[in-house]
Amino acid sequence: MSEVSSGEHEEAQATLSRRRFLSLAAAGVAAGGAASMIGPVLWDQLSRAGAAGSPGNLGSTTGRTLVLVTLYGGNDGLNTVIPYKDPSYLSSRGILAVDPSTVLDLGDGFGLHPAMPQFHKLWTDKHLAIVQGVGFANPNYSHFESMDIWQTAQPDDPSGTGWLGRWMDKTGADPLRAVSIGPTVPTLLTGAKVQAAAIAPGPIKLPGSAADVALYRSLADTSKGEPSLLVEAAHSNADLLEVNTVLGPVLDKARTNPLHLTGAEAPSTNGSAAALAIANGGGAQSAANVLSTQLSVVANLLLADVPTEVFSVELGGFDTHTEQVTTQAALLPQLDTAVGAFLDAISSTKRGRETVVLVYTEFGRRVVANASAGTDHGWANVVFAAGQPVKGGFYGEPPSLTNLSEGNQIYNLDFRRVYATVLDQVIGVDATTFLGGKFSTVAFV
Amino acid sequence: MLYRRIGFGATEQELSAAVSAGYSATADSLLGGLGQPDPGGDSIAPPSFEPVGSLRTDTAARQAYIEALRANSRELIVWWLARMIATTNPTQEKLTLLLHGHFPTAISKVHFAQFMYRQNQLFRTQGFGNFTALTQAVAVDPAMLIWLDASSDKAQDPNENFARELLERFTMGIGTYTENDVRAAAYCFTGWQLNLRTGGFSISALDHSNAPQTFLGNPGINSGTQVIDIATSSAASARYVPSALWSHVASPVTPKAAVVSDLAPGYASDHDVANLLRSIVTNPEFATETTFSGLIKQPIEYVVGALRALSVTAAQVQAKPAGVLAVLAELGQVPFDPPSVGGWGQNSYWLSTAAALARWQFARRLSEVGDISTVADAPLRSRVDAVGRLLSVTTWSSTTAKALSAAASRPENLVTLALVSPEFVSN
Repeated sequence: MSEVSSGEHEEAQATLSRRRFLSLAAAGVAAGGAASMIGPVLWDQLSRAGAAGSPGNLGSTTGRTLVLVTLYGGNDGLNTVIPYKDPSYLSSRGILAVDPSTVLDLGDGFGLHPAMPQFHKLWTDKHLAIVQGVGFANPNYSHFESMDIWQTAQPDDPSGTGWLGRWMDKTGADPLRAVSIGPTVPTLLTGAKVQAAAIAPGPIKLPGSAADVALYRSLADTSKGEPSLLVEAAHSNADLLEVNTVLGPVLDKARTNPLHLTGAEAPSTNGSAAALAIANGGGAQSAANVLSTQLSVVANLLLADVPTEVFSVELGGFDTHTEQVTTQAALLPQLDTAVGAFLDAISSTKRGRETVVLVYTEFGRRVVANASAGTDHGWANVVFAAGQPVKGGFYGEPPSLTNLSEGNQIYNLDFRRVYATVLDQVIGVDATTFLGGKFSTVAFV
Repeated sequence: MLYRRIGFGATEQELSAAVSAGYSATADSLLGGLGQPDPGGDSIAPPSFEPVGSLRTDTAARQAYIEALRANSRELIVWWLARMIATTNPTQEKLTLLLHGHFPTAISKVHFAQFMYRQNQLFRTQGFGNFTALTQAVAVDPAMLIWLDASSDKAQDPNENFARELLERFTMGIGTYTENDVRAAAYCFTGWQLNLRTGGFSISALDHSNAPQTFLGNPGINSGTQVIDIATSSAASARYVPSALWSHVASPVTPKAAVVSDLAPGYASDHDVANLLRSIVTNPEFATETTFSGLIKQPIEYVVGALRALSVTAAQVQAKPAGVLAVLAELGQVPFDPPSVGGWGQNSYWLSTAAALARWQFARRLSEVGDISTVADAPLRSRVDAVGRLLSVTTWSSTTAKALSAAASRPENLVTLALVSPEFVSN
């Protein structure tokens, strides 16, 4: 810490501002020392102590971690958690109905899609909660507005900040409170002032000397009156340096001794292997499980006990207007394998045993198939919560297959109740502050 | 700003010529390129696509088929990047890019590069004209027929995919139609078919529903062509299309914005995209600070703009495309591969820490291989101005200017820093 004056040090200790503290850590690393500050020390000293000193004590108090899995396109919940003993299921779904003899039984007349054995094992172990009938009032069946509603938790005006972006805004300026794996940050982790960090699979290599880094950092020394978008651009540069300070050593270590989940793309020494595969024309034809690749990164970070409290990963392609059977049979195993292997890999640590995975999508799909062997946009759906803190079982009421609205299953559980539950039980904050109202929790954690 | 927003930045010669010609003449000159030849872009040979054969079940043949699709997809992407780098008609190429974002179609589902190429040429050759005609052409073009499943539609229970996105994303905007309109439109598009071998479009009499529908209050509608005509001629569309184009060349707005009220009547009178673009860049609101600092470059604009500024040629990129392809993937915008029918996001969407790292690494490599002689040859005290001219940045903030001045003694570092500055990252 030779470059840090004692005055600055005391100031940092006094305020316990994490961003300030991380800057000090960066100075230490640049000076060749303080490597031991990376890892558990940050978690214990900064997250807990920092939270205790932050306004309103809104930081995580549970020591738990939330991993959000967003399924883009609208996964068909009816063929994922299947009411296979309901005669209306077979008659409504016709050729798209999953053969009842193949489903993985869950009891109460429901079964999981046969491609989900890992989820079934989680269920048997009582570590999988299935919340049924989830949705919101007045759906308009648009992918974009529906996903915006899920990610902002503001159905009346889904154009603003993300529900966890508001949590980041309110509880400190540190972008590392939440991390998204991929090139861009989803709305859910974008606040008015703070945006979650985004990292690509692979190591972080800053392309410059310490002097270059210092100049790069100085681009963010913006003054009042500069246009907000340009300030935001400058801050994303500064945030990168914090990401590098805290996560860089962990990601580097992960490269030499990687945890490699089944199906994940091999870690690359030169940028993101997944990104390169796409650039090489791979696209959706890539054989790797992109969700496993993302969750491998999360697992490595959790095993290193980084201070991040929320992670976001995603899988797309669920918009099954046609050829639904083939598409779901290709995508659900990716979800199943990735989440199963992830929870298994992190279960050896306390941090891992305190992690909750939440899986959601923008809407359910229509009960009756269309004539293209697919289903159109629908309404109510299931949400999964998995992990050791989860109390396994069914929650909510399964929506009727016969009492429909415009052909769609009717929601009976506001999705914000699910968020209230994880805010309350996983992140440990007062959900009302972030959801703009009081929503009762669901007892799945 | 004009050169950045309706092109990919200006050379120093172009900028000085523009200054003496004046804003209006420069706008006329750039917009005048629409529909005209593009000697620079046309010098890039069209992709030659290898035949992919047919999909067989044995593993080796299947693998060869997939490899051929990938090779073609890569060739297509490199071709367009080369064209954007080489173009001497930047407004036409830029409009092609913006239309790709407006009618987002991804090769990850379409699979056949030939079809994506054909759609791209459609945007280039018809994109500046009548928006109704363009939408009609895009709708029956193979890429869109595959992308939104129109080609598997049947009369008895239509698939709503194309009908919904047509109204929500392409022509009218959410909240301006009802669910009944979506269903009515879906019936009108039933039976639309694509011949995968020839790329030909037809309507199957067997699969098409002739039942008359009421669409947006118009009774007796039973053809998809009528649906598109009604949607693109609607009052909602007269606000939605200008707001969409304004969002991409000026700054993001909703169809309710005041500036849209300015633009809508003119657009409603002719539905002409080139005229709309002209109205946008000559609108007083376009010259304001809000517009000036209201847009972040999309990654393709960023990468192509930087390559052009540093005189990296299309041939260089074609010979070694891996680095450019990788940075676009790391930034989250590979041409021909938008993440969904929503296309790509804007502004904050591009400002992640992962993107910051990718930009910085790219900037470093580029400042080593690109031509930065105008900066290196300038006297030390005028290098900050020189790098501004190199990158079409007219004003540096005091913060950025200070950082750049500190790097001025090392031209490569100076250019790297300028390439990752907020002023160049924004558009």
